[in-house]
Amino acid sequence: MYRRVSILMRKHFVSVLVLCVAMIASLSVRAADPGKGKTLFQQNCASCHNVHKQVTGPALKGVEERWSDKKLLHQWIHNSSSVVASGDAYAVKLFNDFNKQVMPGFPSFTDADIDDILAYIADESTKVVGGPGGKPGDKPVAEADGGNNSLLFGIITLILAIVALILMQINSNLNKLAGDKDGVPTPDPVPFYKNKAYIALVILLLFIVGGYYTINGAIGLGRQKDYMPEQPIFYSHKVHAGVNQINCLYCHAGAEKSKHAMIPSENICMNCHKTISEYGGADLYTAEGKKVNGTAEIQKLYDHVGWDKKAQAYTKPGKPIQWTKIHNLPDHVYFNHSQHVVAGKQQCQTCHGAITEMDEVHQFAELSMGWCVNCHRTTKVQFADNKYYSIFEQFHQQVKEGKIDSVTVEMVGGTECQKCHY
Amino acid sequence: MIAAAVVSGAMLSACGKDNRKPGKHYMPDMVESRAYEFYSERLSTLKPVDGTVKRGELLPYHLKAADTALANAVKNPLILSKADLEEGKRLFNIYCAICHGSKLDGNGPLYNGGAGPYVAAPANLASGAKASYTEGRLFHVMTFGYNAMGSYASQLDREQRWKVAAYIRSVQNGGANAGPVANEATQTAPAAPAATAPAATDSSAKH
Repeated sequence: MYRRVSILMRKHFVSVLVLCVAMIASLSVRAADPGKGKTLFQQNCASCHNVHKQVTGPALKGVEERWSDKKLLHQWIHNSSSVVASGDAYAVKLFNDFNKQVMPGFPSFTDADIDDILAYIADESTKVVGGPGGKPGDKPVAEADGGNNSLLFGIITLILAIVALILMQINSNLNKLAGDKDGVPTPDPVPFYKNKAYIALVILLLFIVGGYYTINGAIGLGRQKDYMPEQPIFYSHKVHAGVNQINCLYCHAGAEKSKHAMIPSENICMNCHKTISEYGGADLYTAEGKKVNGTAEIQKLYDHVGWDKKAQAYTKPGKPIQWTKIHNLPDHVYFNHSQHVVAGKQQCQTCHGAITEMDEVHQFAELSMGWCVNCHRTTKVQFADNKYYSIFEQFHQQVKEGKIDSVTVEMVGGTECQKCHY
Repeated sequence: MIAAAVVSGAMLSACGKDNRKPGKHYMPDMVESRAYEFYSERLSTLKPVDGTVKRGELLPYHLKAADTALANAVKNPLILSKADLEEGKRLFNIYCAICHGSKLDGNGPLYNGGAGPYVAAPANLASGAKASYTEGRLFHVMTFGYNAMGSYASQLDREQRWKVAAYIRSVQNGGANAGPVANEATQTAPAAPAATAPAATDSSAKH
């Protein structure tokens, strides 16, 4: 009995001892926890700092090596002004380099918190950044070439026509032979280029084919459907409005307020591109299949606005980006975006197509008068709860009485000439 | 020969249009008419004459970017209704939520917990330090930008910025910061400085 107790006690003593040693060890040389550091970093530091890139404050990669004394770095984070006041050379230089902007103090951080954050920064520093994260196999599918098909059909038609001609020739020769045998005289054959039926047929055909292309060409004059000019910067609407879900109105703020949707001014680009200087999404290709370097395209924006991404400041005078306007209406046509977006409650995509899928924008709609008028004839206006249409009392009355179930744009004057023509 | 005509026609149409070119015009002097030059892009994007205020527009904001202390004290000149706050919410979701998140937690699609392309964490507006900003200060930040954030004055006019500021205050800290909301009117009307700002009237007049 005694032996058993003593064995039990000895066993417990050993485990308790191990536990105590472990606890003391963890207290004295507590390993910094990068996971906790990440949370703290994102809550407190990330608004102004990035590990790899300079934002409002400097990039933090290698921050511990830059400070001569770790204690000083801790003091800087607790209260940066006090370090500057103490006259430390590096601290003063840092303060002056960043426009004498004071870094807010974080007195609530414990030393362990700061170690966690520094551990996270050290962890993050080892990761490679900026590598193009393009997924393989993202290349655009080669377009099914309509030209090849029609060529194939053309060749088949040609072969069949030649076969038919040869057969006709054989047939007439055989007829002639049969007639000679029977002693029936056959008239000399008329060559096909003197045959009146043939000539009439060819003229008719030329008239139809020529007329078709002439009329189509004439209608197409001044129309630019599918127009997709090369822009000075490869700006992908798919990346911005599709992948990154930026609202159309964010950049085209005028669509709600004015006649023009507005090509955004460069300051709107710089709202985000002050900090986003690299492209790391899926590979981009022009319509011709040429690969586009997204980061180089962002650099083009910086060149235009005179932004120095190293210094994080505008260092040169800007020059405007000469975007090419795609959707052009003749001057004698009046079109107002705000009317369609605010009163008409139309979606951008109704006229501009699947913009969120387009790397390079092309004109989706015909923008012909027939196209406008057809839409005005069939589109029902949102009549209820729409202040803009409150003056159409008769229609409101008729809708209420059930005489009509809806009101089209045409009924409120949408097809009258002077609505759209000056 | 017939077949040859058909084939050549088909080939002509196949190598037809170059989408990189705008195509041709019939009567370019009608398309680019001298009579309507007023609407040309050059003239229609001119800045307003100095010292003028657009009809229906709020009076100009005179504080400079560095005047943050003064901005704290600026009061919202609008009396806002519920509908105006809804409008503020709509505008916030278009112009601000892309970074600050529709929950105002500083985690919009562009940041996405550090996984998005935006490298700086946007400010958390829902709680914490930014939740103590006054409407005036929020308006000031929207007007001039702050740290990594740029100015939104070119996208949002003054009235819209005030509506967004009021919306932000109304949902911060679980609604504890909400300002007074007018019940009766659905239209935005100027408050105290009404006598000095007669132009600021019906916001729907612009549409």
